[in-house]
Amino acid sequence: MSSTTEYKKEIMDAAHNERIKLALSRAIASYRSNANTALKKFPHTIKLADEVLEIKKKAVGEMEKLAQQASEVIQENKGKAYIAKTAKDALNIIDGIVGKGKLIVKGKSMTAEEIGLREHLEEHGNEVYETDLGEFIIQKLGSRPMHILSPAIHVPKEDVAKLFSKITGKELKPDIENLVATARALLREKYFKADIGMSGANVVSSDTGTMFIIENEGNIRLATGAPPVHIALIGMEKLVPTLSDAFKVAEVTWRYANYTVPSYVSMVSGPSKTGDIEKVTTYGAHGPKEVHVIFMDEGRTELAKHPILRQALYCLRCGGCLYECPVFAFTAGHFGDKYFSGIGAVWAYLLSHNEEKGAAMAYTCLTCGRCKIRCPMKIDVPEMIVEIRKLIADGD
Amino acid sequence: MSKKTKDFVPQGLVYIADNIISKKNILGAPIEKKAKWAKGIDLPKTKETIFFAGCGYQYSSSLESMMSLIRKTDKSIIGSDFAMSVVSFQKKLGINTAEIYRKISTKENEAEARPLKDAVKVLKLLGLEFGYLAEDEPCCGGLLYYSGLRKDFAQNAQETYKILKSFGVNRIISIVPSCTYALRTLIPSCVQEYDIEVKHFSQVVLENIKSKTMRFPDEVKVVYHDPCQLGRYLGIIDEPRKILKAIKGIELVEPEWTAGEWATCCGGGGGFEVVFPELSEMLAKNRAEELVKTGAKIIVTQCPGCIMQLKDGLKALKVDNVEVFDLAEVIAKAMEA
Repeated sequence: MSSTTEYKKEIMDAAHNERIKLALSRAIASYRSNANTALKKFPHTIKLADEVLEIKKKAVGEMEKLAQQASEVIQENKGKAYIAKTAKDALNIIDGIVGKGKLIVKGKSMTAEEIGLREHLEEHGNEVYETDLGEFIIQKLGSRPMHILSPAIHVPKEDVAKLFSKITGKELKPDIENLVATARALLREKYFKADIGMSGANVVSSDTGTMFIIENEGNIRLATGAPPVHIALIGMEKLVPTLSDAFKVAEVTWRYANYTVPSYVSMVSGPSKTGDIEKVTTYGAHGPKEVHVIFMDEGRTELAKHPILRQALYCLRCGGCLYECPVFAFTAGHFGDKYFSGIGAVWAYLLSHNEEKGAAMAYTCLTCGRCKIRCPMKIDVPEMIVEIRKLIADGD
Repeated sequence: MSKKTKDFVPQGLVYIADNIISKKNILGAPIEKKAKWAKGIDLPKTKETIFFAGCGYQYSSSLESMMSLIRKTDKSIIGSDFAMSVVSFQKKLGINTAEIYRKISTKENEAEARPLKDAVKVLKLLGLEFGYLAEDEPCCGGLLYYSGLRKDFAQNAQETYKILKSFGVNRIISIVPSCTYALRTLIPSCVQEYDIEVKHFSQVVLENIKSKTMRFPDEVKVVYHDPCQLGRYLGIIDEPRKILKAIKGIELVEPEWTAGEWATCCGGGGGFEVVFPELSEMLAKNRAEELVKTGAKIIVTQCPGCIMQLKDGLKALKVDNVEVFDLAEVIAKAMEA
């Protein structure tokens, strides 16, 4: 079977799976209602999104400069910064820091998913724990994420209970509160035993070298705060010029991700330090002594040159579009590669160099355009999809 | 055809593209079939303003037959890709599969092209003067564009413009959303000297309807389904609603969340229906369900693709007391009454 045929079969199997449809229809209704409430309560977000779009349009055109500037500032802050041209370079840099046989706690990161970071680290003899609950479930199931923010969107509570019963050796009921407590108990000690904590970032300000990391569970605070070393892998499209730009990007991101107010936003600019004894600056007080920040290009600066397809780099990864995609409502992330749905096709075809999958995904898009209505960056997915199809069919 | 086209462009789209290039219509039907609906409707060819009928409605019964054939094979183990290759191969031999299948599976559909006849009737009742190019009407080539065949589309766009100008066309009243978008936005992007004003049927109706009384024969709840290209691409959302609200006897209802720019696609967009025939039917069922939940007894829309999909969707839902009409049919009924 060709991989296109396999993909089509996967799509149709998903479409016939009533559990996916049920889980998604609940998630969609709840997303729409929450997003509506969040935007009503903070109506300035809609205008702010327009401002953010202008910030992103400009920033995406000067990613290399911003990465250079951010790296210098992070070094001044006594962190270590790297610019990785390719995914392979990024993995090499990480290997150099990590080595082998380490215990690693990891926050959810689409960029890590993009380069297969967890699998890579495990192959190199490290023990890696995904600490985001959804991602932890996916890891233990040996499955792959089905949504960028809610990776286990397709797994009902009964299946989670079964999985956790197997891990703990105890019979667990499908009681959500109890399941959450079980995950907490399973992961708690790992944060403090871990050699390394890993994360991505939602946005980075180049003038201060500050990474903004948005979350609700608190796992990222622990993963980036407790271990002695913090490694952050960040796509270069996340860079914006100033701290005030970054605040704007962060607020628009979480609001369209339907969090009225997220529980936590971590801002990390360098290693932990203290000057409390004789004003002598000493590193590694309570937080990590070492902070490594890797800005990864992997095709992004090239993509930024394309007048239409560069829009893919404006994406804030709020996940709003996925709830509006009629195909996604039936298939979840099976209509996807590393990233999902229409915009995922652009990433698959051009950045992950998975031409066959990218092409198959490009022809799975309805070009109905409802994602664009939802998108705070007004990304014209149908326009990009037709452009990808042009690259496929006309070969230029 | 490049290697990538051969490997990656779905068979169904290659088939349609080939039809447009060789036969100037999406179905590859003989040209004389195109204007059959307009027999007896006395419209001149050379006129500054023309009515553009488009492929969708002119071949609606053949299209419905073909889709039903494709869906059947898609659900079987053969799969639609293989079926589409067979159809393409037969066409090379001069066999028109869709036409044969239509003949054996359905009688000549009486309702064929009803929306076109009614649209012409409505425009005439509004006192407008216009022509119709009949078998000389070019294909807008929209599906070439959505398939990614941009070079073929650009060439078709040039030819389309030339044909239109050779008949002295300066203004178009178009009814199919996809043709309207192609004629208004896509073709002008390939033809520098493009100078034709394109309006959608519903815009023209609203501009000219003034104080005309319209009454629907029955008191009925109506829900309007926005076609993607008409609503989101062209922003024509209020016009059809204003018209429907002006018709006595009609109570316009809206689905929760999914109206106007938030309307859910019927599952027949951008050629999706020939790439994923079965999934497309599931999406049609889903959209039909959203619309039926409003309690409406009539679904009004303005796209031959949406009408075909929603009818299939209702069938899959086993709902037989809800009808699907083009807006033109509803207006014609309301004007007659």
